[in-house]
Amino acid sequence: MKTVFVNPERCIGCKQCQIACAVEHSKSKNLYQAIAEDRKPRPRILVGPGVVLDTSFPNKCRHCEPAPCMSVCPTGAISRDGDTGTVVVDADKCITCAMCAMVCPFDVITFYPSYKATLDKAVAIKCDHCIERLRRDEVPACVEACKVGALVFGDINELVKAARTKLAQTVSVAVGQIEPATARLPANVEAWRDLGRAVTQAGREVES
Amino acid sequence: MTALEDRAVQRSVDPATQSMLRIAEKQGIETVWERLEAQLPQCGYGELGLCCRHCNMGPCRIDPFDDTGPQKGVCGATADTLVARGLLRAIAAGAAAHSDHGRDIAHTFLLTAEGKSGGYEIKDEAKLAALAAEYDIATEGRSKEDVALELAHAIHAEFGNQSGPIRFTRRAPAARVALWEKLGVDPRGVDREIVECMHRTHIGVDHDYVHIILHGLRTSISDGWGGSMIATELSDVLFGTPEPVMSTANLGVLKENEVNIVAHGHEPTLSEMIVAAALDPGLAALAKEKGAEGINVVGMCCTGNEILMRHGVPIAGNFLQQELAVITGAVEAVIVDVQCIMPALPDLAQCYHTEIISTSPKAKFPGATHIEFNEEQAFDIAKTIVRRAVENYPNRSRERVSIPDDKTECMVGFSVEAIVKALGGTLEPLLDAIRNGTIRGIAGVVGCNNPKVRHDYGHLGLVEDLIANDVLVVNTGCNAIACAKAGLLLPEAAEQAGDGLKAVCQALGVPPVLHMGSCVDISRILVACGAIANALGVDISDLPVAGAAPEWMSEKAVSIGTYVVSSGIFTVLGTVPQVLGSPNVTSLLTAGAEDVIGATFAVEPDPHRAAVLMLRRIESKRKALGLPFVDPESIAMPEPVTA
Repeated sequence: MKTVFVNPERCIGCKQCQIACAVEHSKSKNLYQAIAEDRKPRPRILVGPGVVLDTSFPNKCRHCEPAPCMSVCPTGAISRDGDTGTVVVDADKCITCAMCAMVCPFDVITFYPSYKATLDKAVAIKCDHCIERLRRDEVPACVEACKVGALVFGDINELVKAARTKLAQTVSVAVGQIEPATARLPANVEAWRDLGRAVTQAGREVES
Repeated sequence: MTALEDRAVQRSVDPATQSMLRIAEKQGIETVWERLEAQLPQCGYGELGLCCRHCNMGPCRIDPFDDTGPQKGVCGATADTLVARGLLRAIAAGAAAHSDHGRDIAHTFLLTAEGKSGGYEIKDEAKLAALAAEYDIATEGRSKEDVALELAHAIHAEFGNQSGPIRFTRRAPAARVALWEKLGVDPRGVDREIVECMHRTHIGVDHDYVHIILHGLRTSISDGWGGSMIATELSDVLFGTPEPVMSTANLGVLKENEVNIVAHGHEPTLSEMIVAAALDPGLAALAKEKGAEGINVVGMCCTGNEILMRHGVPIAGNFLQQELAVITGAVEAVIVDVQCIMPALPDLAQCYHTEIISTSPKAKFPGATHIEFNEEQAFDIAKTIVRRAVENYPNRSRERVSIPDDKTECMVGFSVEAIVKALGGTLEPLLDAIRNGTIRGIAGVVGCNNPKVRHDYGHLGLVEDLIANDVLVVNTGCNAIACAKAGLLLPEAAEQAGDGLKAVCQALGVPPVLHMGSCVDISRILVACGAIANALGVDISDLPVAGAAPEWMSEKAVSIGTYVVSSGIFTVLGTVPQVLGSPNVTSLLTAGAEDVIGATFAVEPDPHRAAVLMLRRIESKRKALGLPFVDPESIAMPEPVTA
């Protein structure tokens, strides 16, 4: 199964994925025209801030199986694409009841007018894995936009394996008490994170 | 391989560039085009001008799609404020670059007047006298050095002038100056306006986008009618006012069996001396000793334009060709000063024998050899640099040399003085041709290259359409080099012009596209427009003229575009400026400015459509002046070409 795998420790919070997502889901597919479209395209991936400063998580539909949203949709507007396993919304069948949003474990279904709907009213908006791009053998727009490797697209087991291997290496280095040459982050990013943690911590100490 | 599959053809219309790109690809050498691909997709916040790093509560960005997303920065700045502030800082940087170049020339001029510079002299005494008169400096019975000294001090004072006006701004028609004064955009000094840009864009200062942009106009005027004009005028005094001269352009000017030295960057102070040093008999002998047949100095970008205009020194190419010159494997040294020099050069040069030699006290490049230049020992330093290049010749690896055959003849050197001379000593024949419609109007086409645009495609498509429609084109910078390479700077190119322009060019023996110099020499275009407007008794905004920067990329180009519009000239940009995140700012620049300053910007990436926008503007101005005109709306707008 192919999916967008998130490496939250690499996310620097630039939100380029959000812009790329909105443009990809616009009628024009062009940034300069998209910002002027009547039914403004919306990002379906949302970068939320972590508890600690300078941490963030790009949150999006995980295309669950079984998908709670699909199970509760009373009109059958939500279905699964056979080839890609993508959970998709038929904008014209959506009655904006928000049942899907209530059961979504990730809170990533929102409601806005879409150029794909006949009626100019809010419909359920969620990640569709850029299904048109997938069919052209392109990666989702958010993944293409991510310049730091926080979002990668591929087979879930292969991506997990790669991450697991890296983790194993790091742990083994730590166990050996050796300078972590295989650390996953550049020193300046680690220092930046450390400072973020320190700033967050400093605020807490004053509170308590 | 079909043309469309060939990436080299997609990236450039220039044959020399295409052949070098194929060689680069074969050798696995990275160039600016690969680096652009690695950046794609570029950040939408940046493209729209919706990010701000001016304080440490930020960085902030404004969500252009989601109005439940952030619509204000932490301080409360809106999209309008962010975009206007970003634009103002770009203008400040561009004006600073041009004006600091002007300051350096003024400094050389001062040292020369004091007898302290090493190798410079006052070459154009007539221009010195004219400038002295403009500054109310007496010349009767005084030596040229004495006059020059007083003028040098007066011009130096323009940079620190606190209360204005900058003298050269008064070359603009009285109506234009009155408008600048009324709007409060008449610059008070060169440095002051740039400093104020930085102050206004600091956290918590200026937030009204109209107010911010008005200061942008003021700053840009201090560049075009100030710093840039100072650079041009004093360069003419020191190095001679350009006159028509023949030369050649494109990478084919590099020579197989000679020491090739590429002078790249912007200021003429160093390149003039390199040209002189290369003629030194001792160095010529050394070159022979090293097995070379001679020393071949060629130019690149605007420092190349300076020595091309004044000495007919061949020009190897424009901005996007700087890496390709190194990839020919035939360049012993690239000598650089300031502006538009890619920091990629030293890394690239490691793959060849080429030495990158930086010279400016302001600009160092990791990996380059730094031989600092100063005006006092100019000639000696130039000789040291040329010697280094000559000594590098035996390191050239013969089997890696591949110089493209492409080079084209060109006629360059059209200063305002040279144009007036070509017209027989007065502007009148040109004015007549404009009045009777033989020539519809004049277009200034300038600006950079940008890998987002197919190299030279924007420049050539626009210029060819304009001359075919009887619009006389004047150009500078990378556009001028593009046109030189394409043969448009030859009198024979009149064949590509419409019947009216063709007849005028053939009668005068001049090309339909006049090369007026480097990017600071856009000031020459302003002077010409001012003179034409004064001769017709109107403002510049009434003239049948238009400007364009089809492939612009630099902050200098932002300042240029702004001073051209501030001077009353409609300007078409070929790449999208980082302002679209604010519909208000966009609308001010593309529509509202018309009622304020008498001109606007337009953005049109398709050169053939851009040409129509300019032709329509020119015809509407002809109509307003009561000259024979074609209904602007009857000029058909071509459908955009889709890739």
